[in-house]
Amino acid sequence: MSAPSLANAIIKRPWLAKMVKPIAAWYADAAGYRKLGLRADDLIPEESENVLLALKRLPQKEAYDRVFRLRRAFQCSLAHQLLPKEQQTKPEEDYPYLSPIIQQVEAEAKERDDWDAAVVQRK
Amino acid sequence: MRVSFKLLEDFGINVNRLNTTQRPQLRRHRDPSITNSFQTMISRSAVGRNAQLALRRQCCAKPAPLNRRGLAAVSTGSTSFSYESADVGGIKVASRDVAGLTTSLAVVVKAGSRYQPLPGLTVGLEGFAFKNTHRRSALRITRESELLGGQLLAYHTRESLVLEAKFLREDLPYFTELLGEVVSQTKYTDYEYHEEVEHNIKLSQQRLLADVSDLALNSAHGIAFHRGLGTPLYPTSSTPLSKYLNDETIHQFANEAYTKSNIAVVANGANQADLSKNVSEFFTGVKSSAIPISSPASKYYGGEERIAHGSGNSLVLAFPGSSSFTAGGSYKPEISVLAALLGGKSSIKWTPGFSLLAKAASSFPGASATTTHFSYSDAGLLTIQFTGSAQAIRGASIEAVKSLKSIAEGSISKEDFTKAVALARYRALEEGQSTDAGLVSTGAGLVHGGKPFQIDEVGKSVQGVTAEKLKSAAKALLEGKATVSAVGDLYVLPYGEELGLKRRNNPKLYISSQPTATHNGIRMESIRSHTDKTCKLNSYNKYLSVAARVVRRSLKDDKRLAAERRGESELRMAKWNNGKQGEHQNVAEANAASMAEAAGSPAS
Repeated sequence: MSAPSLANAIIKRPWLAKMVKPIAAWYADAAGYRKLGLRADDLIPEESENVLLALKRLPQKEAYDRVFRLRRAFQCSLAHQLLPKEQQTKPEEDYPYLSPIIQQVEAEAKERDDWDAAVVQRK
Repeated sequence: MRVSFKLLEDFGINVNRLNTTQRPQLRRHRDPSITNSFQTMISRSAVGRNAQLALRRQCCAKPAPLNRRGLAAVSTGSTSFSYESADVGGIKVASRDVAGLTTSLAVVVKAGSRYQPLPGLTVGLEGFAFKNTHRRSALRITRESELLGGQLLAYHTRESLVLEAKFLREDLPYFTELLGEVVSQTKYTDYEYHEEVEHNIKLSQQRLLADVSDLALNSAHGIAFHRGLGTPLYPTSSTPLSKYLNDETIHQFANEAYTKSNIAVVANGANQADLSKNVSEFFTGVKSSAIPISSPASKYYGGEERIAHGSGNSLVLAFPGSSSFTAGGSYKPEISVLAALLGGKSSIKWTPGFSLLAKAASSFPGASATTTHFSYSDAGLLTIQFTGSAQAIRGASIEAVKSLKSIAEGSISKEDFTKAVALARYRALEEGQSTDAGLVSTGAGLVHGGKPFQIDEVGKSVQGVTAEKLKSAAKALLEGKATVSAVGDLYVLPYGEELGLKRRNNPKLYISSQPTATHNGIRMESIRSHTDKTCKLNSYNKYLSVAARVVRRSLKDDKRLAAERRGESELRMAKWNNGKQGEHQNVAEANAASMAEAAGSPAS
């Protein structure tokens, strides 16, 4: 799911992070999904085994809220409208709720691949 | 690259990868808990630096790498079949240093189905054995054990949950560490529960539902002991599991169960000193318990249950048995001799054998009978189980009860008795000698505060059984209330009464009144007792029964008949005079007497 990202490299350097953060915040806001009441993690394509598994692992409340946000956004999109200001996603609400789980699933798959590729030599 | 496989390299295995450009660490890991666990695995800094050193030293101490798996290196075992036990930092450790190249190591936890606070928790905890821990993933545990040639098992009995590892003798440190980790650092994640554990529990429920003989045995235990030991070994399919079982309740139960006083580490084929050293290093994460896990003392009830079932028939007749040898005082070896004498399955080929049930069943082709004695820490259950066609079971069970009666009358031949003692002794010794049974019974014995399973003593006590003892044991069984559980075609399968077994025990409920209490007459007409203030209990019981009777008599005929039937009371009481208990009297009879008395005297 994950595209190559510079985020980790930037976060490691506080001075750089300080510079980039306002730009990142402006960019996320300008992307427009928040105006439909979505979160960044709602935009992750579902069509992969890892993401499907991660969605199954979501807590019940999170899963319900996710479906609600998606349906509301579809409705807005069909009506060619934006949500009223107070219903739009606030920046502090736009936290990654799904991607940590996807990373965990990916890590498991990776570990399995690693073990499958391991070669054993008896000393 | 090799660093991440350090754990294995300590044990002489070198893991390389095919594709050397691949990095074994999980780079994109952002979940802090997982990243941390991998870091600790790589550096092994957080847990057990001493342990790590000790591991290395052990490997270095081996004379030559080529000899590591040679015979000479491991010929330290003795041929003793008795367990040495010790207390290592609050954890009970027992081992038996049998000569051989392999070791079985088990953590026996006092968390069997008897001790589960909610239905299914034991099975859930068993399902979480060897799953993700804070240090390594379930996959890693599996693959590493495979590489070392080890086997990992988790199973439970009614009293114990057993986490067992079988491996080559020199891998003792690795597997001790693994078991210590499973006990103290398993994560109990919700997704593992939903993806792996829950499904297995559902399958085990279905398996139980399809298995007639297991169903009958569970039902017999349930009738015999009600709660505690009577809890089914696996939750039945109609148990509402989702209400009780989830990762949190299991985690909580694990915290209660995996505590120092509640577990015993038992090894077969390991040196006691080695094992103690390893346990003291690797079981440091185990907490000591605040509230010890407990279950009410077992009490035998008895009764009858019939379950209709479409696939197969099974009938279980059960009687109160003896507790296990490790429990100490309440161990009765004559029950195991009785089990051998009743028998059912021949131990020799091409002959039904000497056992009474085998002879009885041989005239009913299609039925097979087995006698098993289930012994627990504070109770036991002697079961005779029949399986086969319903008609054959019916015939064979009638014969079986006849043969049990013949034992009680003492009309068995001396030869049969000698054979039974020999077989019972052989079975006891064989059980002690076999690794698995010995591990579990020793562990269970230690956790329940008894003694380890000592094979020599068991053999001796079985040999000491006399024909007289056997006869009185059989008599006691027949006089008590039997447990009868029939599963299958209920139209044909017999009731306990049809077999000639007693249904009713002596009344169990005794209510003794205060020492100074005296009886008082009761006036039927006014439904009021002349209550003496010192005589509350007796009078209250009488008052209740009188009131109940009057209410019953005022009912319509059809309702009244049903109510009268329910109203048969077994309540007994005794009168205390000068600190001495008088004779027990049935409350109903006493009432009748006092009524007669009251009818004689003029009404007040």
